[in-house]
Amino acid sequence: MRADIYFLAALFSFIFLLMVLNFVRRGRLKEQYAILWIFFGLILIVVSLRVEIIDWLAALLGVVYPPSLLFLLGIIFCLSLIVHLTVVVSRLEERVVRLTQEIALLWAEVGEGAKRKEEAAG
Amino acid sequence: MTKPRVLVIIPAYNEEKSVGKVIAGLRRFCPEYDVVVINDGSRDNTAAVARAAGAQVIDLPFNLGIGGAMQTGYLYAYRHGYDIAIQMDADGQHEPAELPKIMAPLLAGEGDMIVGSRFVAPTGYRSPVGRRVGIWFLSFLLRLLSGQWIKDTTSGFRAVNREIICLFAHYYPTDYPEPEVLIILDKLGFRILEVPVEMKSRQAGRSSITPLRSLYYMAKVSLALLMNVLKKFDAYRLKGETG
Repeated sequence: MRADIYFLAALFSFIFLLMVLNFVRRGRLKEQYAILWIFFGLILIVVSLRVEIIDWLAALLGVVYPPSLLFLLGIIFCLSLIVHLTVVVSRLEERVVRLTQEIALLWAEVGEGAKRKEEAAG
Repeated sequence: MTKPRVLVIIPAYNEEKSVGKVIAGLRRFCPEYDVVVINDGSRDNTAAVARAAGAQVIDLPFNLGIGGAMQTGYLYAYRHGYDIAIQMDADGQHEPAELPKIMAPLLAGEGDMIVGSRFVAPTGYRSPVGRRVGIWFLSFLLRLLSGQWIKDTTSGFRAVNREIICLFAHYYPTDYPEPEVLIILDKLGFRILEVPVEMKSRQAGRSSITPLRSLYYMAKVSLALLMNVLKKFDAYRLKGETG
């Protein structure tokens, strides 16, 4: 029974990796994030094929129940990724605001020019 | 010295009922000032009314909020080489006739930013008790964080010199710009002066602040102010000087 769940985990990791590669192929994911997820997918595959790694790491860190180490690492990974994403969103928002302002100013500029031309002609 | 070029910045969001009167007042009391209305994605006739009244109107394609709209005005002032920028509300609570009171000390070089205040000396303006408590709390907090004793921290009736126009064109806070700006300017060593002015109650539209919301508002403003204490602004100041 044990073997089955590990096989499923490896299969899932493999499918995950394929999905990421597919996103990259279709240009839906920036390289920066693609590398991150490919790396993550590879780690998943390795860990699900060689569960001893987790046991070994848990023993090394003095963690009594190895799966909890897995959860801990997962949560740390997710949290740091979310923090990184909010940083990215903040930067994007700042840029959108600046672009919006520039466009509004440009329109005002263009409008004024068009108006002046009309006045000169009339 | 040549006459300074002055720009009045009026951010407006759905203020068609009052913005026309504000501009007309400006035309009458200070015809030598240019007026720019930043239409912050209004869904009413604000832009048309402002244009008809004779103001330059800049239309933002969607609502950026007060910070983003105000900064658009400062960017305009910066690019067009204005020496002085004045910010005013579109709802009619700031009176054009009061402008000399904040312009005079700026022209005399008594401060880099002059804030028109309801509270420095007794004026005709009375506000609800809850609001006054909130405003007092903000003053107190600002005093703790910056050592400045500004009574009307949320006043949007202000005049600034060219150096601050440069700064604001490069950086302007988005969440609660009026009190936040005070901390930023203090950190960068600018001089802020508060002078008494007469203000009216708003002429049209309704303030969105209810008691429960204002508590929440206070908490959020306090947090925003604290974050400004932590933030570094020196880079923006440098840009302002060379730009």
